Amino acid sequence: MKKFWRCFVCNDIHYGVKPPELCPTCRVLNAYVEISAGEARRMMGLPAEGGFSREKFGEAIEAFAAQNEFRVNPDSERVNTLLDGLAANEEKHGLRYCPCRLISKDFAEDSKLVCPCNFLVHETYKGVEQGECWCGLFVRRT
Amino acid sequence: MKKLILFHARECPHCRKMMPLVDRLEKEEGVVMERLEVWHDEKNADLMRSYKPILAPKCEGQLRTPTFFNTETNDVLCGEVPYETLKDWAKK
Repeated sequence: MKKFWRCFVCNDIHYGVKPPELCPTCRVLNAYVEISAGEARRMMGLPAEGGFSREKFGEAIEAFAAQNEFRVNPDSERVNTLLDGLAANEEKHGLRYCPCRLISKDFAEDSKLVCPCNFLVHETYKGVEQGECWCGLFVRRT
Repeated sequence: MKKLILFHARECPHCRKMMPLVDRLEKEEGVVMERLEVWHDEKNADLMRSYKPILAPKCEGQLRTPTFFNTETNDVLCGEVPYETLKDWAKK
């Protein structure tokens, strides 16, 4: 069954049974995370329809992290807090914006805040041995 | 007049960690911090956005929470910081 996938680095959208191993645009390996049809539509500038359950998103980020050098934070309390914020932002603003950063109301700029975002460049992650994304949803495997 | 603002978000784990430090600072140093939640209060969000030219350069170009802002000196702290750092910022 075909699904929607989004590159967490450059936000390219792919529709297919499997995501590309290598992103054709930014050339990052294992960069695609499964997203909802609604998110895909919103990222392409279309009205959203078809949400993504919290449970489904949890599964998607686990599968995404499993093939990478990072994992979902083992601190389940922190993860639950963040999922509350992501769900609230999706409901109110149409996309799962990071609960620890505020949107500027510039869509192109704000698309960089949709979880999972390109946290590989965050100063809290890049080159940090026990690095994590800004909000702490993803942590480097140690 | 000096005004200390904390821009925070309800579901931000960093903000939750910093709150007890802010409580302690207010109690021990007699300062008052205005705590403004930005994801569930559009007025607060607009206020934070209005300070973007000052705040963002100190926070990797973005509006992040928690952000501590001194409106008089424009001194900004971004993210989780130790108590002493917060105290030094507040006493400036």
